[in-house]
Amino acid sequence: MKKFLITTMAAAFAAVSFASSLLAEEKTTLVVGIGFQDANNLDPHQSPSVVDKALFNWMFNGLVRIKPGQANPEFIEPDLAQSWASNADGTEWTFNLREGVQCHHGYGELTSDDIVYSINRAADPDRSGFAGSFKALKSIEALDKYTVRVSLKNPIPSLLGLLSNYHGGNIVCKKAAEEMGEDFNKKPVGTGPFMFEEYQSQQLVRLKANDDYFRGKPKIREIVYRYIPSDASRDLAFASGEVDMIFGKQDSKWIERTAKVPGAVVAVMEPAELSTLYLNVTVKPLDDIRVRKAIAHAIDRAGLVKLKGKAANREAKSIVPIGYLGFSEDVPLLPYDPDKARKLLTEAGYPDGITIKTIHTTLPIMATTMEVVQAQLRESGINLEIEPVEHATFHSKIREDLSPVVHYAAARFPVADVYLTNFFHSRSTVNTPTAITNFSHCSAADAEIDAARAEPDVNKQKALWQTAQEKIMADVCGIPMIEALQVWAYKDNLDLGYELKGNLNLAPTLTEASHFKN
Amino acid sequence: MTVSTDFRVLTRKRKVAILLSNGLRETIKAFNSNKTSWVGLGLFMIVVVVALLASWISPYDPIDQHISNRLQGPSDDFLLGTDYFGRDILSRLFYGARISLLIGLLSITVAIVVGSFIGVVAGYFGGRVDLVLMQTMDILLAFPSLILGLIIVAMLGPSITNLVIAIALTAVPPFARIARSPTLIIKEREFIEAGRSLGYSDARLMGLHILPNILPEILVMGSLWMATAIRVEASLAFIGLGVKPPTPTWGGMIREGFENILDGPWLAVWPGLAILVVVFSLNLLGDGLRDAIDPKLRGEGAE
Repeated sequence: MKKFLITTMAAAFAAVSFASSLLAEEKTTLVVGIGFQDANNLDPHQSPSVVDKALFNWMFNGLVRIKPGQANPEFIEPDLAQSWASNADGTEWTFNLREGVQCHHGYGELTSDDIVYSINRAADPDRSGFAGSFKALKSIEALDKYTVRVSLKNPIPSLLGLLSNYHGGNIVCKKAAEEMGEDFNKKPVGTGPFMFEEYQSQQLVRLKANDDYFRGKPKIREIVYRYIPSDASRDLAFASGEVDMIFGKQDSKWIERTAKVPGAVVAVMEPAELSTLYLNVTVKPLDDIRVRKAIAHAIDRAGLVKLKGKAANREAKSIVPIGYLGFSEDVPLLPYDPDKARKLLTEAGYPDGITIKTIHTTLPIMATTMEVVQAQLRESGINLEIEPVEHATFHSKIREDLSPVVHYAAARFPVADVYLTNFFHSRSTVNTPTAITNFSHCSAADAEIDAARAEPDVNKQKALWQTAQEKIMADVCGIPMIEALQVWAYKDNLDLGYELKGNLNLAPTLTEASHFKN
Repeated sequence: MTVSTDFRVLTRKRKVAILLSNGLRETIKAFNSNKTSWVGLGLFMIVVVVALLASWISPYDPIDQHISNRLQGPSDDFLLGTDYFGRDILSRLFYGARISLLIGLLSITVAIVVGSFIGVVAGYFGGRVDLVLMQTMDILLAFPSLILGLIIVAMLGPSITNLVIAIALTAVPPFARIARSPTLIIKEREFIEAGRSLGYSDARLMGLHILPNILPEILVMGSLWMATAIRVEASLAFIGLGVKPPTPTWGGMIREGFENILDGPWLAVWPGLAILVVVFSLNLLGDGLRDAIDPKLRGEGAE
């Protein structure tokens, strides 16, 4: 009897361990924890928000892509297009498409029609939030089933960047987009390695593997993208193994602590998001340049970096993020000088200081920066009243021009033109028909920004961008503060399948080759 | 409660003095029967004193950031440690007491005034007035107080005034109820009848003859509900609908502590304890006061 018991127990034990090893081998579901309350908008042509970009990156392709793991346009390689060529002055581009690419959910083969539709959609302000970037697009036409031609009004700094798997360059499938119309964000359809399966508001988005993916069957079969806004909950979920990959905190303390979690890899990667304080130059008291200068002198960049630590943060050097094509280091920043700030305020007729208002997100990463700014400004007699609102409300209110001071942190395609146009060209002023994200109503360098875009000579172009940066800084439309790199952590049994240095879509790319090791 | 008929001949000043000294004696007697009330009163007074003296006894300015000392545990320099921005927790707790008590006191005062007005009017006039007023109160009561507060603050925006309005509104119905039932009994009493036959106006009867008789009960409820008000304020602050930063509030401190709980667990503990102490002391106090005015328990104090 005893022997029997032992045998059964041994058998049971063997069975259990076999089953568990089998389970371990079959780990193909990746659970990701993102630090936001909810999706912003799941239409790739609508949302520039960090919270959605990762999903777009896993679901969509562009005509070209930046090599997985890289954030620099130098690494552009074929994606949906196999090859391309342009005429001498760069105003006409021909792309040869890869054959046999399938749209998700049985929407058929992706052909030149889809490309034409998708690019036109991205360039249409009614259907896209990125229409402003396609200003130079004259036309796009299908020459045959697998060839498209893009014509431009003038050559632009980075057409390939515009057509890469980023923002408006993400290619949507025509049939699906037409069929669903405005509901496309409820079931986005692309061609990438993972396809949309379900969305539960404030809970999760589930993606599953696209077995027809043209680069091969993805090894990860399912991605569960969970919305976990609380930093502590997300960290605990990661430490306990409930999630495999998390959106981290741009904070040295967090990085140190998370690196100590057994089996954790912390990735600090490009690009950096530049935190800028945009000042509405049309409202009192900010319409006075002395007041704006005073605010600029009151901000201590080094102090901000000290708060969050150097591991993922650095001082900003211009209103264009460091390293972008056209970024200039020779732009004079107004130095931290509270005495000067007070003096300027007195000159402007505010010897007792001023009170300014801002509508601000409660998102901890941004809110903590703003509370330090608030304390710094107080030193110089500037009282910053913060009205805290939830992140999505923040995004809509600042776009309705309701906040005279806007703190915005963003990374864009790394060419100065994009940042300058989006944030400082008068055409992009918020609450106008052509609005993008010019919160400051800045118009100091419209001419230079436009001229640089059309300038074929690279050096002249850079000189124009430099002048634009100088003019905008001189007008203090925005005060650049700090740049924060992207911080993610994932379990070391996850092999991404490439070396991770960065991703313009701000999350680790997941490819068909990404898998769990055993 | 029959006092007003007994010494009709005395001056008003004298009447008040007698009433007060009677009330005080009764209260002390009841407190003695239930010694924990003294503990409640003592604790609460400590909190009040701390709040009043916050600007003198705080070691630091509660909003001064010492970034190089951020997220430190308790030490000689920072007795209770520092928060994410390197602000001194102890000073923030002291100043936070001001906000908690201020919002608690103001909102409950508003609730008492509005609630007892509605309750007395409803009870005194009866009939349709009673029906409409009390049904309205029932509707308000049907909302959980936190949800109601949340809706109001979300609509009006977070500021001290709006928080007071929101919390007061959630506390009005219970006071209306508490005021109404004794009014129903008292309005049938002889001294009211007498007043009416002397031609006193309704307002005078309600304000000078009914209200003083039901006030003790309302005040006891007040101390108990103040504890609730402080908790609601903290809850609203925790979900981000509190007083704006950088003003220190206990609920806001717990929220910040929660965000950094893995780096500094003490951050959420101190304000949590502070809320615990205040709510606990108010409840003990309220219990003692209730014993003091409850005729059924009144004898027990005298053994």
